[in-house]
Amino acid sequence: MMKVALYLAMGLVLTTLECSLFSFLPTEFFKPDLGIPFVIYTAFFLNPFAALVTSAFLGLTQEVLSGAPPGSMLFTKVSIFIIALFMKNKLYIDSRYSFSFACSGAVLVESFLFLAISLVTRGESKDIGNVMFYAVPNAIVTGFLSLLVFTLVESLNVRYFDRH
Amino acid sequence: MKNSVVIIIAIAILAISFFVFTSTPLFIRGYSIAKTGLGEISGPLLRVAGKPADGIRYVFENYVNLVGTKKENARLRKKLDAYLLEHQRLSEIEQENKRLKGMLNLMEQRPKTMVAARVVGEDVKNWFRCLIIDKGRSSGLAPKMPVITPKGLVGQVVECDRWVTKVMVINDTNSSVDVYVEGRNSRGILEGTGQSPLKLKYVRKNDEIEVGDRLITSGKDGIYPKGLATGIVTTVNRNKPGIFAEVEVVPFNNFTRLEEVLVIKK
Repeated sequence: MMKVALYLAMGLVLTTLECSLFSFLPTEFFKPDLGIPFVIYTAFFLNPFAALVTSAFLGLTQEVLSGAPPGSMLFTKVSIFIIALFMKNKLYIDSRYSFSFACSGAVLVESFLFLAISLVTRGESKDIGNVMFYAVPNAIVTGFLSLLVFTLVESLNVRYFDRH
Repeated sequence: MKNSVVIIIAIAILAISFFVFTSTPLFIRGYSIAKTGLGEISGPLLRVAGKPADGIRYVFENYVNLVGTKKENARLRKKLDAYLLEHQRLSEIEQENKRLKGMLNLMEQRPKTMVAARVVGEDVKNWFRCLIIDKGRSSGLAPKMPVITPKGLVGQVVECDRWVTKVMVINDTNSSVDVYVEGRNSRGILEGTGQSPLKLKYVRKNDEIEVGDRLITSGKDGIYPKGLATGIVTTVNRNKPGIFAEVEVVPFNNFTRLEEVLVIKK
C-alpha cells in the first residue's frame, strides 16, 4: 500500500512539474508522458489492483492538467493497463532497457487508442494530424525518461521496500 | 484481489470513461466531481510549483549559455556575468513593467469586468494547446470567458477549478473564432491547427483579403466580444480547387511565452 502511495505521489509530482516548472523548456515537439512509466511498472511488478488504481489516478491527473476531452486520458491509461496485464506473462522486463522499450511502445499504443476512441465516438478527429505527428517523438523521449524513472523507483525499492 | 475481478473493474472504468467521452449526461456529473476533487490536490501544487518557474526560466535562458567559459577568463567573466545578469534582470523587470502597464491600461477601461491572472502551467500533452492560470472559481471565473493580453486574443476558459483555470488557446485544434478582416468587408472562421500558423476558413476567393491584413473578432460567435485583435494574415492562396481561398494567420501572441493574461468576465 505504501508503495502504491509513493508511486502515485511521484507520478502526480512529476506530472505537475512537467506542466509548470518545466514549461520553459522547448518541449513542444518532444513531450514525455510521465504517467506511462508508472502504469507499466505497477502493472508488471505490483499487484493488478494497485496498477489499476495507479492508471486511473494518473489518467485523471493528466486530464486535469491538459485540454484533453473528458474521459479520454482515463480511457487510454486504463486500456494500457489492461494490455500490460495481458502482456505480463509474454513480455519479460528484466532491465531498465526493456522497460524503456515497453514504455515507448505504450506511448505509441496510447496515441492510436486516443485516435481510435475519437474516430469511433465522433466519426472524425481534428487532432489526427497532431497526434500522429507527435506520437513517435513522444515515444522516444518517454523511453529515455523511463530509464531514469525505472532507476529511481528501483533504488527506492532497494532502500525502502522489497520488490517481488 | 484476483486478476479477473480487477479486469472486470477495469472494463467498467473503461465503459464509464467511454460514456463520459461521448458526453452522456448520466456519467458526466459524477465524473466532473471526481476531476474537481483531483483538481483540488493538483491546483495548489501547480500554484506552488509555478512560483520558482520564473527564476528557473531566467537562469536557464540567461546563465546556462555561459557555462562553456574558458578557465583563464573565469574571474573576469564572473564579474562581467554578474553585471550582465543584473542588466538582464533589470531589462526583464523593465519589460515586465511595460507588460503590466499595458494590462493595467486595458483593465482600467473596464475595471469590473476583467481579472488579471498569471500563467502557471501548460498542457502536459502536445496534442492540445491549453494554458493553466492561477485564478479559479473563487475569482469569479467561469467557462467560455474570453482570455486576452494587451497584444490580442489568447483563447477561452474551458474548465474552472477553485484554484486554477484551464484556457484553450486559439491555436488548439478544437478552437474556432469568428473574425473579420479589419477595414475590409470579409469574414471567416479562424481555426487552430495545433501549430503556429492558424487557418482562416470560409473566405471566398473573391473576398477582399491581402497578406498583412489584421484580423479582429466579429463578436458573432457568442464567446469573444467584438473588436479583439487576433492575428495577421501571412499567406493567401487562391490557386487551389474549390470556392474558398487558403489563408494562413499568425497570432499576435506567442502562446509559449505568455506570463500574464486578462480574463474578461461576462
